Amino acid sequence: MISRRGSETSMIRLDSVTKTYGSEAPAVRDASFEISKGEFVFMVGPSGSGKSTLLRLMNRQEQPERGSVWVVGRDINSMADSKVPFLRRKIGNIFQDYKLLLNKTVFENVAFTLEVIGRPKHVIRQQVPAVLELVGLSGKEDRFPHQLSGGEQQRVSIARAFVNRPLILLADEPTGNLDPATGEGIMRLLDRINNTGTTVVMATHDQRIVNQMRRRVVQLDRGVIVRDQERGVYN
Amino acid sequence: MLTRISYAFRETWASFQRNVTLTAAAIITSAVSLLLVGTTFLIQRAFDNLLTRWKGDVELIVYVRSDAAPEQIQVIEQALRSQPSIIDVDQLQFLDQAASYAEAQRLFAGDPGTLRLLTPENIPSQFKVVPLAQDSNLIRELGEQFRLLPGVREVAYAQDVFDVVARLSQFIRVATTAMSIVLLIVAVGLIWNTIRTAMFARRREIEVMKLVGATNWFIRIPFMLEGLLQGMIGAVLACGGLWGLNSAWTGAVLDFDDTELSALVVTGGFVRWIMLLILLIGAVAGAVGSGIAASRFLDV
Repeated sequence: MISRRGSETSMIRLDSVTKTYGSEAPAVRDASFEISKGEFVFMVGPSGSGKSTLLRLMNRQEQPERGSVWVVGRDINSMADSKVPFLRRKIGNIFQDYKLLLNKTVFENVAFTLEVIGRPKHVIRQQVPAVLELVGLSGKEDRFPHQLSGGEQQRVSIARAFVNRPLILLADEPTGNLDPATGEGIMRLLDRINNTGTTVVMATHDQRIVNQMRRRVVQLDRGVIVRDQERGVYN
Repeated sequence: MLTRISYAFRETWASFQRNVTLTAAAIITSAVSLLLVGTTFLIQRAFDNLLTRWKGDVELIVYVRSDAAPEQIQVIEQALRSQPSIIDVDQLQFLDQAASYAEAQRLFAGDPGTLRLLTPENIPSQFKVVPLAQDSNLIRELGEQFRLLPGVREVAYAQDVFDVVARLSQFIRVATTAMSIVLLIVAVGLIWNTIRTAMFARRREIEVMKLVGATNWFIRIPFMLEGLLQGMIGAVLACGGLWGLNSAWTGAVLDFDDTELSALVVTGGFVRWIMLLILLIGAVAGAVGSGIAASRFLDV
């Protein structure tokens, strides 16, 4: 077949993707859509509708039974295992539970990303303070996660996801554990990051946020895409 | 590159500290098993030395009854000397009862019960015979002829003793090898378990590492280094133990002042080779144990 389809600016493309866990009904069924460079996309739907699975398919934490997933022009399911780490360096991940390392400081948590992909010390010393300033955590470099509020912890996790300047940011319910005001702050931050040209894909069931942002909405219901709308609202 | 190396060593050291008890258990087990491996080699070497020495020595002893008349002894000696083609007559040696008793004092030093039963009067005198012929059947045939002579109590073949010792050495070789293999497997298993535990304790970190694009080797290497180090520390301890054991053994054997048994001493050069071998086995065991763990439990 054709090795590359879609427009030049395509960041992520799913072609008829089906993913089943065990013998249950498919978590994602025959999903197809394309996300262009610089887009901000909400994946919405109730719990268990397949939002998280879709995100996990995009960084090859999961492999589909059928269909193909293309990221930055490559079919990531036919990619060798040894290439997957390099794919993931182009993708930042944000989670509802932050996934911070509790025995490391704010600085160390963010520096960890650069350290494990082998960036030299002077790059780390330069980039970590810059990204901490971007997320509004300057002055809190030496705090440990338990000394921070939930919103601040999520900012650390965003800093960690963004410090390597990924092309894509995958956010799985990033505001799920936060109060509305704090969640709004996080959304402003994600919006700023999106404005730098980073593609953002965010799974959420927070209606208020989706309605406020007025971005593209992909709605899922029991694993099936039931709506894909530009500048959409939650329902 | 430097960042990666310093990262690997830092993580290895940190993990060592986190898991002191398990690490100690893995190290001690590998030390004991490797010590046994080394001891097996040394025992084998000692037996080989001894058997080599014996091969070229006395192979036939004609025991003469303690009540034999001097004329009978003379007949026996003549019979022996009449076979210069089979027997090295120049080396023919007669130990009278006094000499035999003195020898018995030495040979049975560790067996006072037997020694008490012996007196210079009831002990047999003996001819020590060195055969020229290599054919053991010929020597046996000759021995049977001597047995029929009046005054001869018994004819003993060194070959018999030699065979017994060889069988004994074979048995010890098999037993110690089997034990060291079993212990080595236990050591690999313990290292595997230690590394698995270390990885489980850090599964969150490993998950984050994988998500931000660390390569599998980058994640694995500190763990493998940890296992390698456990195996090698165990090996170093085993080397120390082996050296001490061999020194004590050498001292004890030389104290006996017995030129035959001194063949049981294993020299320093060979011991050093064995130590090198042990270090190698330890490193391989550590790398294998941790390598299996690091590959199997990386999927988080």
